[in-house]
Formats: sequence, C-alpha cells, structure tokens
Amino acid sequence: MTDTAIAASALGKRFGRRGGWALRDCAFRLPAGRVCAVVGPNGAGKSTLLALAAGLLGATEGELTVLGTTPAKARPRVGYVAQDKPLYPQLTVAETLRMGADLNPGRWDAAAAERIVAAGDLDPKSRIRTLSGGQRTRVALALALGKQPELLLLDEPMADLDPLARHELMGVLMVQAAQHGTTIAMSSHVVAELEDSCDHLLLIGGGRVRLAGEIDDLLAAHTRVAAEAGTDLAPHTVVDSRTTGRQLSALVRPAGPLPAGWHTGAPTLEELVLAHLRNPEAPALTAVEATV
Amino acid sequence: MTTLTAPAPAPRAHLTRWLLRLHRPTLYVWAGLVLAAAVLLLLLRGPLADAAADAWRQYDSCTDWRRCTYDQNAILRYKDWYSYATLAVAAVPFLTAAWAGGAFGKELESGTAKLAWTQSSTPVRWLAVRLAVPAAAVAAGTALLVWLHHLAWATANDRIDTAKQWYDVWTFHTNGPTLPALALCGLAAGALTGLLSRRTLPALGLGLLLTGAVWTATQLLLPRLWPTRTSTGKAFFALPNSSWTVRTGKHAEVPYGDYHPASHYWPLQLTTTALLLAVTALLTLGCFLALRRLTGKTTAG
Repeated sequence: MTDTAIAASALGKRFGRRGGWALRDCAFRLPAGRVCAVVGPNGAGKSTLLALAAGLLGATEGELTVLGTTPAKARPRVGYVAQDKPLYPQLTVAETLRMGADLNPGRWDAAAAERIVAAGDLDPKSRIRTLSGGQRTRVALALALGKQPELLLLDEPMADLDPLARHELMGVLMVQAAQHGTTIAMSSHVVAELEDSCDHLLLIGGGRVRLAGEIDDLLAAHTRVAAEAGTDLAPHTVVDSRTTGRQLSALVRPAGPLPAGWHTGAPTLEELVLAHLRNPEAPALTAVEATV
Repeated sequence: MTTLTAPAPAPRAHLTRWLLRLHRPTLYVWAGLVLAAAVLLLLLRGPLADAAADAWRQYDSCTDWRRCTYDQNAILRYKDWYSYATLAVAAVPFLTAAWAGGAFGKELESGTAKLAWTQSSTPVRWLAVRLAVPAAAVAAGTALLVWLHHLAWATANDRIDTAKQWYDVWTFHTNGPTLPALALCGLAAGALTGLLSRRTLPALGLGLLLTGAVWTATQLLLPRLWPTRTSTGKAFFALPNSSWTVRTGKHAEVPYGDYHPASHYWPLQLTTTALLLAVTALLTLGCFLALRRLTGKTTAG
C-alpha cells in the first residue's frame, strides 16, 4: 500500500506527431485519501490528465505512477467516469450493474452499486437509453464505485446535473471517501462547484500544473495585499497585481513578514485560482514546496 | 483498506458473455440468415434441382418440336434461386465488414470503449475477444453455407445444362474455403477502420471499401495463383467446358490458350484462401497496433 495515489514527474502528452502538447512538464503528487479538485479552464488538459491516470492514454514523455504502479497495472483498482458518461444504451440498469460484476470479478460490491442506483429512484428494468443525464451519471457512478476503487477519477462529473442531483451525488462521493478512504480526483472548470467538498487542489492551465497541494496550505501560502500605488512588492513573489487609482492590490506569496503598512487578507480559493489563470507567467507552486 | 493482495490470480472476467449480450440482435439476424440460406441451399440441392434436371432431360431428348413439352418454369426457377443463394452467401464477407466497422466505430465514437477499458481487464483482451468471438461465429456460419452450396452445385453440375461452371466468379468463392477466409478478412478490415476512424458511418463505409479492394485484388490475382496449362491449335478448341481459359492469343498463326482444368479447383481454392488469411493476419496486426496507438503502452499489463 502506498500513501501516494498519483505521482507525476515531467509528464507530457502530445496528440499526433505534429500536434500541440495537451500536457507538458507536469509534476505533482496527490496523497492517498484526498478529495482532489482538478481545476482549469476548458481545454487546459484536465481530461487528458485523468485519461492518462486511468490508463486510457499513454504518456508521450515523463512518468506517471498510479497507486504505486503503472496506470495499466493499477487498472483493476481505479474507477473512471468519462465526461460524457458512456454506457451501453441497449442494456437495462440492472444489466449494466451485472456487467460491472462480471467484468470486475473478485472486486465487485453489488450492494454498494445497487444502493447508489436505488437512492435515485431508478427502475432497475429501465433501459439506459431512456434515462436522463442525471440518472445516467448516477448509473455511471454506481458502475465505477461498485468496483470498490482505491482511486476514483471523475471527469466533469457534475456538468449536466441540476443543483439538487449535484448535491446528492456529491454526498454519495463524500460518504465513499469517508467510509472507504477512496482517493477521488474530479475535474471541473467551475471552482465553486468543488470548493466545499475538496481538500486538495490541482490547478492546470495551458497544459501545465500551476498549483498543486492541500487547499489550506495553498491558501495559507498566499496573501492578498493592498498598498499605495508604486509600492515595491519585492522580495515577495507576486502572482497578480493591479493598480486602481492610488491603490495597488496584489496577490503575493510572502517570502517573509510583510510590512506593517500594508493591508493584508486571506484570499478565497476562487481568487487564488483566478489570479493564477490570469497570470500564466507566475511561478507554479506544487505540493512539495507548499508543505515545506 | 487492507494491504493484503491475494496470491491466487483474480478470476477471469466474462467478456464473451457481455459481447454476446450487447450484440444479441446481430447474433439472431446472423443465425436467421444462415438458417434461411441453408434451407434454400437444401431445396436447391433436392427438389429444385430434380425438377430442373427433369425439365432439361425432356428438353434434351426432344426430337419433334411440335409435340415436345418441358417444364420451362422449373428451369428458370432453379436458375433464379441458385443466383439468389449464391449472391446471399457471397454477400456475407461484405455484411461482416460493414457490421464490424459499424460496431467498432460506434464503441469508439460513443465512448463505451473507454467504459470497457476502465473495467478490470486490459484493452488488448477487449480487442482479442471482440475479434475472436465474431470470427468464430462468422467462420462456423460461412463454413456451413459454402459446404451446402458446394453440395447444391455438385448435384446440378452434370444434370442441368445452365449450371454454373466451377470457375464462375461467385460460384468459385461460395463453393469453397475462400469465402470464410474473405469473411474473416472483412471482419478484420471493419475492425481496423473502426479503430482508425473512431466513427460509426465512416468506419462502416471504409470497412466495406477495404474489403471490396481486397476482393478485387484477389480476383485479379486468382488465375495466377496456380500455374496454368497451355493448349494450342485443335486441342485448344477441343477443351471441355469445365476448362477455365484465362488467356488466349496467336503464336505463329496458331491459336493457343492458357487455362485451368477442373482439377485446379482445389489448388486455386487453397492458394487463394492462404493469401486471404495472410491479409487477414496483417489487418489483425494492424488492429492491435491501432489500439496501441490509441491507448499507448498502457494497453498491456
């Protein structure tokens, strides 16, 4: 048993020989047992990263370790739900779960899978093709969780759900994480969607990891400051700074105590994420540094 | 979570069962098609051939045309149904290619392939099962059909004057192992175009096109797959109908012809089958390479 769910070093993925890099120079570590938000704008490389971890794609360069081994060897211990929740439309809900049992012998928890489906008032006899988006998500999640995964990878799991279904399914995931210690990595381009449920953040922008670490540590490593325009912010690392009239407001990573004359405050997660996305040149902060 | 890992290998996943469940309608259609064609071929071999043979006997023994009657309908009925049966059997490789292209293209287009690849077994096993099970069904069905077709053809061969010769384009294939080989080739071609295009309709069309190209190339090569005999002058004109003349010409004002006698049927069948199976093997290798391109080195393991 390893205490690291996912570890990447110099990870890169390019589609086609002359295609652009979807991911480049990615290095981060996701400790086991965390609920990790994989956040970034559309097309940032979130889906590519999750597909690499699920063993659906091969890395072009670098290394990716999943549950202490290669993504391919970790396959039986990893659950994955793709963005469009693919399921076989001609099967019934019950058949889909039976298929999960047959394709994951020795691992399947039928009761858990059925519980998730039953909680959604789904008729086990109804065909997948007749289900709504939220119901499909529920079945896809039941299929992934029935496998009793140690790591669950969810690509935009809540995208097509109404707020109520979103709340319910997030509850299912949190219970899973709490009861079984399952590591969950889920992507979204809406930070607020994941803020309450996640304790770890992986911010991806332009195919690179911009922030990686415990959300509390990341927030603690940054300070929102307001000072007089023209103030020199050195030696602190400036992530984002704007001058409005005679006021300079900035998000900095303090290198030491801040001068008493500055107004300081703790940033919200959304401010932290937006500041990094607005400033692609700002240096990345990954877990290793954040926890020092 | 426990750290114990069972020393015994995990029980194997039942991929075949679910492949059969997912394609149950196709399986029923295939079984129905084989059954219908088999019944037709048995009828052709029995009552239809007998009636046509009787009619031909009446026709051939006729000396006085004002008094003769013969059952022309029986002759035409046999001719028509024989053509339908032959075309139905000959269409199987193309139907197989279209089905395989559509099935593989759809799995990749709708993303259900990803669903399958993130269960406990590897993408390589997914592909192996998805090729092997249809291959077994197609091989068994086509083997039965060509055997029945050969029986139906053989029983008519010297009794019915308009019976097709062994070298007739469609009859040649539907009479022997080249057809099952071409059907397997169609399966691999459809799978490959599905894995490459990752879309249902283009894969279906390209699979058909690729199979058609293989068939056309085979057709062009076929006469050269076994050495011909040459006959010149009067002997050339005296060759029996069962000789397949593939080239004619004049050499110093003496006409000659290169031909395959009826005894070349099996050598030609076997060399053509071997050629088609070699192409099938290449296409299958291409399928696994295409899968590796899709899933990277994570495919195995």
